Amino acid sequence: MSNRHRILIIEDEMNICNFVSTILETNEYQVLSAQDGKDGTTMVFSHHPDLVILDLGLPDMDGNDLIEKIRENSDVPIIVLSARTNEWDKVKALDLGANDYITKPFSTNELLARVRAALRNSRHQGVGERMIRKEFQVQDMIISYEKRRISIDGKEVKLTQTEYNIVELLSTHAGRVLTYSEIIKKIWGYSDSGSVKKLQVNMANVRKKFGEKPGEYRYILNELGVGYRMNQEEK
Amino acid sequence: MNNKLSMIKNILFTIGILAIFFVASLVIENYFKADTLIPAAFALAVFLISLYTDGFAYGVIASFFSVLALNFAFTFPFFKFNFSIPENMISAIIMLVITIMSSTLAAKVKQQEKMKAESMKEKMRANLLRAVSHDLRTPLTSIYGSASAIVEKADCLSPEQILQLARGIEEDSQWLMAMVENLLSVTRIENEGMDLIKKPVVLEELIDSVLIRFKKRYPEQKIEVDIPEDFVSIPMDAILIEQVLVNILENAVQHARGMTQLILKVWVDEKNAVFEISDNGCGIEKERMPDIFTGYFEKKNVPADNQKSSMGIGLSVCASIIKAHQGSIMVENRKEGGCCFRFTLSMEAEKNE
Repeated sequence: MSNRHRILIIEDEMNICNFVSTILETNEYQVLSAQDGKDGTTMVFSHHPDLVILDLGLPDMDGNDLIEKIRENSDVPIIVLSARTNEWDKVKALDLGANDYITKPFSTNELLARVRAALRNSRHQGVGERMIRKEFQVQDMIISYEKRRISIDGKEVKLTQTEYNIVELLSTHAGRVLTYSEIIKKIWGYSDSGSVKKLQVNMANVRKKFGEKPGEYRYILNELGVGYRMNQEEK
Repeated sequence: MNNKLSMIKNILFTIGILAIFFVASLVIENYFKADTLIPAAFALAVFLISLYTDGFAYGVIASFFSVLALNFAFTFPFFKFNFSIPENMISAIIMLVITIMSSTLAAKVKQQEKMKAESMKEKMRANLLRAVSHDLRTPLTSIYGSASAIVEKADCLSPEQILQLARGIEEDSQWLMAMVENLLSVTRIENEGMDLIKKPVVLEELIDSVLIRFKKRYPEQKIEVDIPEDFVSIPMDAILIEQVLVNILENAVQHARGMTQLILKVWVDEKNAVFEISDNGCGIEKERMPDIFTGYFEKKNVPADNQKSSMGIGLSVCASIIKAHQGSIMVENRKEGGCCFRFTLSMEAEKNE
């Protein structure tokens, strides 16, 4: 009972809140809910949930402010529910410290996959995570951090330094979207007008070397206009 | 900023035209000795100015200038103002009246054109709204009906019956979702107008998004993809172009009867990226061809029972998205059977990027 993950939903739409709770409860999660930002904030700090699902359009405060407020004191993973209209809304939420977003309307499977990923991620998070884990594996791809080697189905894939660094960075945050600017900052340390293109070209090369075709990316998933995400799901 | 720029443009245009006609008149006077030509030339100048500048102020000012110029340079005594000769004065007044009238007339015509375009847009919007609300009703009825059946009769329905009703709800909401995505695209264009925000988008990543979104709805349908091997980046509003591709592909699945092959091909020529979606289904009836991209916005009476076929909004949305990108879109039946949609996007980046 006590090892069940506790998830807090902050959402003012009762119907959405109900159906999300139902899905999560039938999947053995413990669910708390808040209808506005004020209650939500209080509950984050009093109940210490393992995951927060946050709707950006709350009646009493801007969802992005709430993310900032939570991040001041807590590393709890946050999944944002957003409407599809603007990709920069998502980018902003992610850059403020949200771990992931789900676009409305979403399916049950999508929701559960994101929840699993966010929870798995947070278990690995913390100090010296890369030191502890020696390798990363998803499906038939293995990254050995010590040897800086990547293999798919047992065969080594030769990447350049930069390409490897990007893949490694994504793998240490597997399941989570990293925005273009986040990746650029961590890989090159600076950004200029050509940075995004440089990143995209590198990514295209990585995918070519992985032997992947559009529509069938299995390792690094593509969030158009936002960033990239290392897959975590086996299938 | 924009206002100032257009004002400078108007002023420069006015001065330019006046200068050209002034010089031309000097030449005419030297060669032809025909002074009837000159007032006519100035009347033409004023007319041009009022036609191609905003408002009628420039036309009126230009007409004053031309009367003065006429008096100064082209009537006796030459290169001297003289307002005492009654003959000159009368011709000056007539000239003034003609030019002012023609300039206000031109301004009026321009305003009428603007109003006409405005009312066309208004009419299109009203038609769209009517058609959409009509189309929304059918799936809503089924969702509402099924859901309340489950709520009210939960005890006496078998699990299979409940599942069947729920499947109907799921299916109809998917249809509603597709419709809403399209409406969002329309409002996105309307909001941003011609200042669409174009960003370089990697072709492979765009195609990936489209295929994933498409597979979610039609897991069974295979698409053959043929895109360049090289890295290609095209300036566009990715969300809107994704919508265009999904709409055309969906259209094929829903309407191309007997289709066994669906191909998405992209190539780049000197200036444009060309997207081509072709199928080997039943093709499109000749009668539908001319208004296939405008049909939805213009249709007035919608038959009540055409639920699924009303994806017609999809193609109309495609056309307006491509138009907002300053690209072109067309469709043709293929000789081998089936039809082929093709649209182009400019490869040139925006100047202000």
